[in-house]
Amino acid sequence: MATIAVPLGAEAEGHEAEAVQRPALSEYLRWSVDHKIIGVQYGVASFLFFIIGGAMAMLIRLELWTPDLDLMVSGAAYNSLFTIHGTIMIFLFIIPMWAAFGNFVVPLQLGAKDMAFPWLNAFAFWLIPPAAIVVLLGYFVNPAEAGWTSYPPLSTLFSGDGQTLWALGAHLLGISSIMGSINFIVTIFNMRPPQMTLWRMPLLCWAVLATSIIAVMATPFLAGALTLLLLDRVAGTTFFDAAGGGDVLLWQNIFWFYSHPAVYIMVLPGMGVLSEVLSVHSRKPVFGYRMVGLSSMGIAFVGFTVWAHHMFTSLQPELRIPFMITTMIIAVPTGIKMFSWLGTIWGGKIRFTSAMLFALGFMSMFVIGGITGVMLAALPFDIHVHDTYFVVSHFHFVLFGGSVFAIYAALYHWFPKVTGRMMNERLGRIHFAFTYFGFLFTFFPMHIVGMLGMPRRVAVYDPAFAPWNQLISFSAFVLGFSTFIVIYNIIRSYYHGPVAGANPWRALTLEWATTSPPPVTNFADDPIPFEDPYGYGTEASAAYLDAVDAAFDGRGGPDG
Amino acid sequence: MTSAIARQEKPKIGLDRDAALRLKNNRLGMTIFQASWIMVFLAMIVVNWQLRFSYAQWPPAGVAPFDPLLPSIATLALLLSAAFVRQGWGSLRSGKLGDFLSSWRLALALGGAFMAIIVYEFMTVSEAALATQYGVTLRLMTGFHVVHALAISAVMLRVYRGARSGAYSGGEHEAWAVEGTAKLWYFVAVAWILFYVVLYWIR
Repeated sequence: MATIAVPLGAEAEGHEAEAVQRPALSEYLRWSVDHKIIGVQYGVASFLFFIIGGAMAMLIRLELWTPDLDLMVSGAAYNSLFTIHGTIMIFLFIIPMWAAFGNFVVPLQLGAKDMAFPWLNAFAFWLIPPAAIVVLLGYFVNPAEAGWTSYPPLSTLFSGDGQTLWALGAHLLGISSIMGSINFIVTIFNMRPPQMTLWRMPLLCWAVLATSIIAVMATPFLAGALTLLLLDRVAGTTFFDAAGGGDVLLWQNIFWFYSHPAVYIMVLPGMGVLSEVLSVHSRKPVFGYRMVGLSSMGIAFVGFTVWAHHMFTSLQPELRIPFMITTMIIAVPTGIKMFSWLGTIWGGKIRFTSAMLFALGFMSMFVIGGITGVMLAALPFDIHVHDTYFVVSHFHFVLFGGSVFAIYAALYHWFPKVTGRMMNERLGRIHFAFTYFGFLFTFFPMHIVGMLGMPRRVAVYDPAFAPWNQLISFSAFVLGFSTFIVIYNIIRSYYHGPVAGANPWRALTLEWATTSPPPVTNFADDPIPFEDPYGYGTEASAAYLDAVDAAFDGRGGPDG
Repeated sequence: MTSAIARQEKPKIGLDRDAALRLKNNRLGMTIFQASWIMVFLAMIVVNWQLRFSYAQWPPAGVAPFDPLLPSIATLALLLSAAFVRQGWGSLRSGKLGDFLSSWRLALALGGAFMAIIVYEFMTVSEAALATQYGVTLRLMTGFHVVHALAISAVMLRVYRGARSGAYSGGEHEAWAVEGTAKLWYFVAVAWILFYVVLYWIR
């Protein structure tokens, strides 16, 4: 048997029995430089925005129940509603939600005491509330109507002051994202224990590294684009106005040079979560560990070369084919991940926990979103379904079927570590069933109405599409209802859930080798990682896990 | 750049583990910040480049091209300023506070001259040029750059004053403020050279 590295210094064993107290709730409402507090701050704030954005989605579906205008006073009101829905979901929910898990989990997985720049970390979070206030204020003042992509001339000549506030808020969020990402990269490169080489690093850290590299290199382009938009709106320049020598395609180029990579900012951490969850809950090593890590980098790299596929209908014809090819190439690293995950769970001792169910849900839904992505990459098909509900369906399969399912998987997986309590598994499975079927029947039929020709971003549509839209709206309400189940589960489990113990899932990565919740400095001593973060099923790993349990007087959780 | 960093990391004697890690983090963080923020300047260059295609020729017909003489002098002043910043930082690391102060005084003066010329350029764009994107992108790029130069030279001034009252004489880890500010000033110089070439030499 290999040498067993016990994660904590032996002297820690004695006083470990006294459970670490959870931080008081008031801790979360004030400035704190502890990455665990900041992680929860990010998480709770983002989840609140998810609820707000979700409520707006419900209003959108209510409006679309009938082919006529009924809920909304005008098409313009509908425009501003879907604009703020998209803005909240992307800038205020998914991107900061990954900062939540990244903040809480990454330093723990690296065995670090905190992030590299704790003060900067707190500052990056505290930029979000003012930015959110500015964006939401814009909605109530004189709302932006140009969609979250804010194409000029809609966003320059035809939108109210809300568009200016939108741009200011997005600017702040971009700066927050850059600061957070610099912090992640430095933490991952510099704060690992000496035994953890890059090739022994957990895959969530690989994914967060790739995500952060995208964020630092792409987000400045958003800053550039927003600066120009603000100047056009406020200072009378005409960068996007052909009448003044400007070019509307300029916005599309610069904006998508950020926003296509931003798609990977939103989904790559979810892929990292999946590698963790699938491996832990099927008790098997990740199949092709190095290829999974490298494919994150591959996606990050190729992601910078595909932006103009958002502009197929407006692009110079000779540039279309090259962008079609690069877009299809990006399916290769994504496919590597998908097959690696299949190989990981193949023949594993699968435990169908809520986290595992959501991870499996991600796999099925993301495959659909990925395949429709390849379909959209094909130029002739894209021109046919351009600006239809097919596109809406595609990106919701990626962003809900991908990112949100992974966020739920991560929530069920790490909630015990964050709070010290297990979530209720029965409620978790009910939540999964409602989410899975609600999601599928909301967004899958959109492919069909899209191919039949229903345009996106309209409140009034051909009555022929009404039955489809009623099915979609009904399923959307089911999906909306599912959120209440998880909210109830979170609150109930926070107070009454079974005590989790240090390592309820018997996982090998370092975040489980400390108490739940971890103490302020994370580890009593410098922790020693197990030789392989996913080396399940060996005698050495069993001995390591027993040592962790013994060190923390560990009764495992329900499945322990 | 990389080799310079590698060279600086050798003398670790006297730094405890946490301070050494902090310095390492600061240096990597600064490098990533520079790589990241230069992308905004590249975005501005993309703007300039794409807007050229709105016109049959560049500069557009009827607009006189900008005279590169004054901006060239400004560029020279900025490069000299960056060199003096570098020299001053070297002096401080070998403990010569007086040399540091005189180098940074020169650097600040040259930086001030650079900014004065660029602001003059910004203010004196001809009406004919301003009626086209030729003049507007010049204002966009010089204005954007000078805001950065101004902010960072303000930091330099603060560091200079701090150094005069002896804040950074305790060794390398204490002098991070000086090193970081110097690196931000190099960033200003590099960003300007990109803009200078695009604005005044690529027709």
